[in-house]
Amino acid sequence: MNVQELVPLALPRGRPLSCELCGGPAQLRCGACHVTYYCDVDHQKADWVSIHEKICQLLIPIRTSFPFFNSEKERKHGMEQLLHRQKHLVDFTHKVAQKFVFEGKHEEAIPAALHSLRFSIDTCGPDSVELVPAYLILAEASTGLGRLTQAEEYLSQAQWIVLKTSDCSNGIQSKLHRNLGLLYAAKGNFEESLYHLATDIYFASCAFGTHDISTSGGYFHMANVFFRQNKMDIADSLYTEVTDIWHAHFSRLIQVQSQTLTTLSCMLFIHLKCFILNIDEAQQAEASQVLNAILDIREQAPKQQPAKTANVVHALAMLHYLIFDFPKASHVTVTVCDPVIQDCIRIFTTKGAELRLHKLKLRDG
Amino acid sequence: MLSVYIRRPHCFYGQYTVPLQRQDLCFVWDWRHNWLKCWLKLNCLVSLNFFSFKFRIHLIKDKDAIDHYLSMNIKGLSKQEAAAYRNSYKKNICIDMLRQGYHKSFSELFTLIQKWNALREAAGPGSAIWQQKSLEEQPDKLDQLHHFLTRAEAAQRAEYYEEVYNNQLKLAYCFNNTEDKWLRNYFYEQCLSTAQLIKIDGGKKESEAHANMGLVNEEQGKSVHESAEHYETFHQLTLGRMWNDETADQMLENKEHQQAIKTLIKAFEMAKKGGDKKMEGEAAYCLGLAYHSAGEEQTAIIVINVTEAIEYLEKFVTVAKSAQLSRSLVDACISLGDIYNERGNYYKACEYFNQAFEAANTLTDLPLVDETKVYYGIAKAHNMMVAVNSHTDAADHVSIEYLLAWKENRSDMCTDPFTVGKTLVMKLFFLFPSVFFNEKKNDHTAV
Repeated sequence: MNVQELVPLALPRGRPLSCELCGGPAQLRCGACHVTYYCDVDHQKADWVSIHEKICQLLIPIRTSFPFFNSEKERKHGMEQLLHRQKHLVDFTHKVAQKFVFEGKHEEAIPAALHSLRFSIDTCGPDSVELVPAYLILAEASTGLGRLTQAEEYLSQAQWIVLKTSDCSNGIQSKLHRNLGLLYAAKGNFEESLYHLATDIYFASCAFGTHDISTSGGYFHMANVFFRQNKMDIADSLYTEVTDIWHAHFSRLIQVQSQTLTTLSCMLFIHLKCFILNIDEAQQAEASQVLNAILDIREQAPKQQPAKTANVVHALAMLHYLIFDFPKASHVTVTVCDPVIQDCIRIFTTKGAELRLHKLKLRDG
Repeated sequence: MLSVYIRRPHCFYGQYTVPLQRQDLCFVWDWRHNWLKCWLKLNCLVSLNFFSFKFRIHLIKDKDAIDHYLSMNIKGLSKQEAAAYRNSYKKNICIDMLRQGYHKSFSELFTLIQKWNALREAAGPGSAIWQQKSLEEQPDKLDQLHHFLTRAEAAQRAEYYEEVYNNQLKLAYCFNNTEDKWLRNYFYEQCLSTAQLIKIDGGKKESEAHANMGLVNEEQGKSVHESAEHYETFHQLTLGRMWNDETADQMLENKEHQQAIKTLIKAFEMAKKGGDKKMEGEAAYCLGLAYHSAGEEQTAIIVINVTEAIEYLEKFVTVAKSAQLSRSLVDACISLGDIYNERGNYYKACEYFNQAFEAANTLTDLPLVDETKVYYGIAKAHNMMVAVNSHTDAADHVSIEYLLAWKENRSDMCTDPFTVGKTLVMKLFFLFPSVFFNEKKNDHTAV
């Protein structure tokens, strides 16, 4: 992190510089890009940790004024390029913010999400559907931090935009309702929360199908609400559903992978790296969060259900295996000490273990 | 007195002091400007200048009060209710199910609708299915699905599979028309898979489900094999189980008999086609038994039924003999004997009971042997009753001699038809003395 002091008096008139995070008068400047301003070191640090480190150099072409173009064609080209860059930044910042949220680092997610929102406003205008994801991430992070009024404000913005746009995609509506559901759950208003989560599941099913991993999130949150309402049987059945969805998803991935492996068994390990792309980071974070939560609940339940627990553990092991975290994969399977569960897993993972050995051999050879 | 500012564009502007009474004015609250407008009887717009200030403050206060009153006492639409009016019926039902946690019902309903749409797309315009209404557009059907599916899921959560089965079966019955065949078939399949989880009732539900599946397969014109398989499983399951269920409601039982007979005939034919001797025999036996029990309850059709029962049972006996199935042979023979006995053909009855007795002897099952013995004895006695009666009816000297000889000499005599069953006749004597006393009287009068 490179800090440069500013002397506000020496700045040109009529162009007030404001802090990247809070909008207050700027005192500092990032020394690497020279285009980002902050009011104090804390804000710069927060921004740096969250997003600035990754986009520092990308900001330069966007924030510096245009060079002088000679022809209309060049000007047009320049504008297009700018737009393209901004769009790229919107996507990138959004992804980063989402990952932070999935990992539970809400504080760090907020600057990234703010950037995403700002760039989307720049590219699409203040009330277009493209802003909704940014608002949603902001709301989610705020909910995570316990700033419920703030979150509600963001969500109301998003909902208003969605209401105004008649042909809003199902995916976005599903996300909106999921966040609303989470917000009401955090407020303790379970009925409202269940309504929104149900709507979320409906939209997600319309968009992706009832047994898709995108739908599983809605089921998971709903299960949590029922769990808190102490309706254990419903929560249990929903948790099972979520586990099944992830389990099936990973199994499918592994199957595809093993097929490709057998056909390309002579290839070098480097080529295998491309399989990592099977699961993007956000998905991976979500999967591990959800599955670990379910595993905790299953282990602490008064009535043990070894088969179901084993299913969760197996899904987790597959996840670690898919992201090439071999020690952890075996660790997960070993930490479960119950002999019954161990047995179940052994049956489940025999095939997985073979694959794993196969892959390890490939890596060595 | 009111000081009013009268605006009337083409006539006069200005401030007038007009004597006014309440009834001359019509007050209208102008919400946009938050002031009071009033109409004079003169039909001109008056805005109150002097008084309006006071009025305004007063009325604004009032407006808050009114809002409060409205929100407390008159329920407007909440966001959810507004959304419910805006959404389609299908969406409302789905959301309703999910809110109560019935996610399996939701995914089932959702997939069914999708499946139908896919079928329709595949068939293309111009086909029969293209003209039909989608499930989404039929609220009553959606309601039915919602009702039964959620109940089934609640039962499933409590692991009360019979209830699940019943609900699924009801759904299948709901869609028992030509248009919704696919739904009915789907729920029959579900019934079968649920029925396989039910252990308590001894496979009754499972057999029912198999019968239904057999029907479905047959209708769809699938391979004979498949439906035959279902029917055979059904009948294996029913064998010796369904008929023992005497606690069941009598009416229901009767109905089931008819249905069972139908299915059993099918099973029998399937078995014949399959060429499995043992299967065939068992099916025939079951059918015979079914007719037998149905015949007992419905005397009207007894003749047809009994003759058919006899036919099937005899078939079974021959099959059983060749297949060395002693136990079922005994059962079959006893049933046959029973039927002949009831119909008064005692000679045949004796024959079959004798066969049963012999078969039972080879089994070395003492109670069974005793049972067959008693049956045999009864049949013999009946057989003899005819002779005794004929002798007593004849009432001539020779007959009386005959009777007396038999009564004095109670040893077994091969030549004398009476002696074999005499002990049993004595038993009968204790049971129905009146018959014998009448005989005695006849004897005396004859003498």
